[in-house]
Amino acid sequence: MTGPTSSRARSTIRAGRRTLTRLAALAALALTAAACADDKPLNTFEPRSPQARRIDDLMSPIWWVMGVIFVLVVFGTMIISWRNRVKESDYDPEDLPEQVHGNTPLELAWTIAPAVLLAIIAIPTVDAIWDLEERNDECGVGEVGPGCDGLDVMVIGQQWWWEYRYDVDGDGFFLDVDGDGEAGDADDREWPLELSLDPDDVVTATELVIPAGQQVDLILTSRDVIHSFWIPRLNGKRDTVPGRWHTWSIQADDAGKYTGWCTEFCGLSHARMRMSAIALEPAQFDAWLANQSELADIPGDDDPDAVAGRELFLNNCQRCHVIDDGEIPAPEDIALVSRAAPDLTHFATRSTFAGGIYSVYAGGPGDATDANDDALPADDYLNLAELASNPDSLDDYRLNAAELKRWIANAPAQKDMAPDPNPETGLGRGMPAFTDLSDEQLDQIVAYLATLD
Amino acid sequence: MAIVEEPLALPSGQPDKAEKPLGALSRPSELTGLKDWLTTVDHKKIGIMYGAAAMFFLVIGGVAALLIRLQLATPDNTLLSGDAYNRVYTMHGTVMVFLVVMPIGAAFANFLMPLQVGARDVAFPRINAFSFWIFFLGGLMLNTSWFIGGGADGGWFNYAPNNGIAFSPSTGIDFWNIGLLIVGIGSLTGSINLITTVLNMRAPGMTLMKMPVFTWMTLVTQFLLLFAIPVLTVAQVLLAADRLFDANFFNVDMGADPLLWQHLFWIFGHPEVYLMILPAFGIVSEVIPTFARKPIFGYPFMVFSGIAIGFMGWGVWAHHMFVSGIGPLSVTAFSVATMFIAVPTGVKILNWMATLWGGRLILNTAMLFSIGLVTQFTIGGLSGVSHALAPSDTQQTDTYYIVAHFHYVLFGGALFGFMAGFYFWWPKAFGYKLSEAWGKWNFWLMVIGFNLTFGPMHILGLQGMPRRMQTYSEAQGFGFWNLVATWGAFILAVGTVLVLVNALVSYLAWKREGKPDVGADPWDGRTIEWSIKSPAPGHNFDVDPVVSSLDDFWHRKYQPDESGKLRRVHTGEELAQPGDPTGVHLPAPSYWPIVLAASMPIIGYGLIFSLWLMIPGILLMTLALWGWALEPADDLDADHGDHHDDDHGPDTDSSGAEAELETVS
Repeated sequence: MTGPTSSRARSTIRAGRRTLTRLAALAALALTAAACADDKPLNTFEPRSPQARRIDDLMSPIWWVMGVIFVLVVFGTMIISWRNRVKESDYDPEDLPEQVHGNTPLELAWTIAPAVLLAIIAIPTVDAIWDLEERNDECGVGEVGPGCDGLDVMVIGQQWWWEYRYDVDGDGFFLDVDGDGEAGDADDREWPLELSLDPDDVVTATELVIPAGQQVDLILTSRDVIHSFWIPRLNGKRDTVPGRWHTWSIQADDAGKYTGWCTEFCGLSHARMRMSAIALEPAQFDAWLANQSELADIPGDDDPDAVAGRELFLNNCQRCHVIDDGEIPAPEDIALVSRAAPDLTHFATRSTFAGGIYSVYAGGPGDATDANDDALPADDYLNLAELASNPDSLDDYRLNAAELKRWIANAPAQKDMAPDPNPETGLGRGMPAFTDLSDEQLDQIVAYLATLD
Repeated sequence: MAIVEEPLALPSGQPDKAEKPLGALSRPSELTGLKDWLTTVDHKKIGIMYGAAAMFFLVIGGVAALLIRLQLATPDNTLLSGDAYNRVYTMHGTVMVFLVVMPIGAAFANFLMPLQVGARDVAFPRINAFSFWIFFLGGLMLNTSWFIGGGADGGWFNYAPNNGIAFSPSTGIDFWNIGLLIVGIGSLTGSINLITTVLNMRAPGMTLMKMPVFTWMTLVTQFLLLFAIPVLTVAQVLLAADRLFDANFFNVDMGADPLLWQHLFWIFGHPEVYLMILPAFGIVSEVIPTFARKPIFGYPFMVFSGIAIGFMGWGVWAHHMFVSGIGPLSVTAFSVATMFIAVPTGVKILNWMATLWGGRLILNTAMLFSIGLVTQFTIGGLSGVSHALAPSDTQQTDTYYIVAHFHYVLFGGALFGFMAGFYFWWPKAFGYKLSEAWGKWNFWLMVIGFNLTFGPMHILGLQGMPRRMQTYSEAQGFGFWNLVATWGAFILAVGTVLVLVNALVSYLAWKREGKPDVGADPWDGRTIEWSIKSPAPGHNFDVDPVVSSLDDFWHRKYQPDESGKLRRVHTGEELAQPGDPTGVHLPAPSYWPIVLAASMPIIGYGLIFSLWLMIPGILLMTLALWGWALEPADDLDADHGDHHDDDHGPDTDSSGAEAELETVS
């Protein structure tokens, strides 16, 4: 039949199809845009290290294979269902379709074909597993010696922050516990962890500062429950398990900030256990590490607030926190499950505190950002880290005093924690409130913290 | 083929009469009303109770799900504290897995499998009632922790050492642990019961390769349960010893390796996934051929791929542990094994597509949900392959990509299959059809809401949003898709509730019309459960069906004429059994299953709060076991839907032999 009706109908169908195509294209565009947007700091599709690129290269063709199978099966099923439909009112018991019971060659084919496809996929997968594993330097496990190049950092997860220990003096991460003349061998890894760690290492928290363009070998462990160390642009994740030492490696192509997040459920504040890696140009990194290796400054008489703040620190915070200025004693018998709290020796050179949820600085040179802002813009983190290699210039930055005071006065109100002693173990988890401190005293503590560059 | 071709012919004899087993209680004999439901041993009523209990728990798990979605709808939301969020998401997972999906599978297995194999009941009817009650009471006990101690907070996977008393001092994890231990007893006794039923009580002529696919999948599922539950039980006993009696199985300070828990949990946990999905695979394998009016394409492939999944499911557990630090050799082995489990699953998908191909499809609600399973499960299967590749999994595991994956498998797969099953077998269970108009709303709202909820989670996961996060901040860029997912969740919730609305609306309409008979065979069915009245009478089959082929009932209706063309020679109603039996003895109701089941939560509370409280529990348990042991399985004086009481006597036909088998329980 050739009439105006049918041609109109046809053009309607065509128009409908055009609309559908456009909608599909739009949807695809929206998805791609969403996936590529640069406001997604944890995006897994933006590898910035050889390790992450290795994973991405393995997956890129496979996404296409999956996409094709998805379209064939899902749309195939829908099309088959639609084309073979019969209205229930037209149901005719005599109108039987051909009674096909099966087709053995066909079924064998679609058993064998996916198996072959998967076998093909398995080859690069196995290759990638071993390739990535071989990148993890065996020397990384707290050992030093010939053929063990590069920077080794021990990463220790605990509720709910990350500690990083840099083996700057090259004697390994552990004391020579068994007295065999070699520090850091397997027998030296004692539990609880605190007993066997080398106190001379550079210790930082939350932000892992690394040199750009160099592989960093990580040794992962935990002081309490299982956590998982994940900075998506630099590598996949690896669990930190108490009592176990896992090797892992990261590397950043360029200087910059790379966001991460604890990815194994670790209790109350799992959502507030964040971290980042900050990659510096190698020269800046060396300067940063040299600064971190020094003792903390002791405030002079020209800064009476800071002097008072140091006294308050000694009477309150020193129970758990380390500030190594050559005089303040290290805490003993910390009443926490993890037996550790963040080392604050160079607190003012960091950009975040409280497990990466608050910014240490509220504003940089010349800006008037509201002091209550959650964080500085990402670029400023980087500036801050660069400046950390030249601590004097930190004076231009304004400390996030309001948030710091809130935190010191009542940390459990800011972040879910369980600082009270557990009835069974007598140990708490997290930072207790210091509600006795007056506003003036809090100001004095903050003034002292500001001197720790 | 069959291990036992005919029902076991045990010597027949007059069971001892013991009307008052303990001299106090007379035996229950009600066949209607509350007392009937509490004491029944009828597999159909028990199946319906499994379904109803699962719906009750679905509401709890669903409210928890909506709370999770509300909390995550916007960045830095404070609706739920970290503690509350952890408890809500833990209970959501636990309730949905153990108290919703598994019991719905058990509901279908209980109600349907004996009908499909032509049996009067399951092999051990009182144990069947016990299995249900211990599941239900154990589940209730688990949920009382909402009010006492505040719910478990360690995640449904409950990793050590975070599950220890040092990190979770409240009683939530004890409830999780003891509650699931108790529920597990029900799964275990149920699996033994159903395996025995399938292997020993099939109708004459029904060889294993003439069993309906659903019955096959039930058999595979029950074997998975039989071997998986004990592994979880071991892990839970160790944890209970740690938490309640200061043992050190998972205490790292004493040299424990926390990975022990992970291995034990996932050796149970991965077969668990397949035992949740296989019943749904069985259901759609019945629905699709019925409404495509074609036999299932490649029945042997469907059966053997199901068995293959059942075996391979044991060799893939460590793919949950690719980032746990198990070493590259283990990662390689489990990565490859996981990739290949896609093969039998893919065979099933393609065989369903081939069954649809060239059929005369009636796209009613049951069929739509079945097609929904085929399409949605495929998406879940494909995302599964992407994290079978271990290096890729190190980016995806513990992100929302995984949350998307397993909801496509368990909601788009298992629950869509169960919905298809509800619509399909509702008339056989209750005597009326569910409304198609409401059904269409039910389906489309669910499929749209489902994809809006879980589709965006693929994007969120690949953008790096970790799971089990109470909140996220604006700068992380997860706001938009989380909000979409929250809207989707509410659409999905409305869609899901519509099945209950439909049940009520359709019932009221049916009642208004004077409860017309829906007929034995409302869908032109294929298997023998459609050859008996709807709703299925208490005794199931008036006479034992004799089966001569797969889809036996259909082949009795349709036979080739002289030219070889298939013609309908009978309607289903012509062939249907009238529901008017002679000389049938059914197992009699009993108090003891529910009493025995009730003793266990009391012991459980005692373990958690005070060991003294265990004493009444143990006394009750002893009493119940005593009463059970003294009570004969069937009561010859009782009337069980048998209209010809006068013909009573020691009967020697096969149904009598079956009744004898009951005494074993």
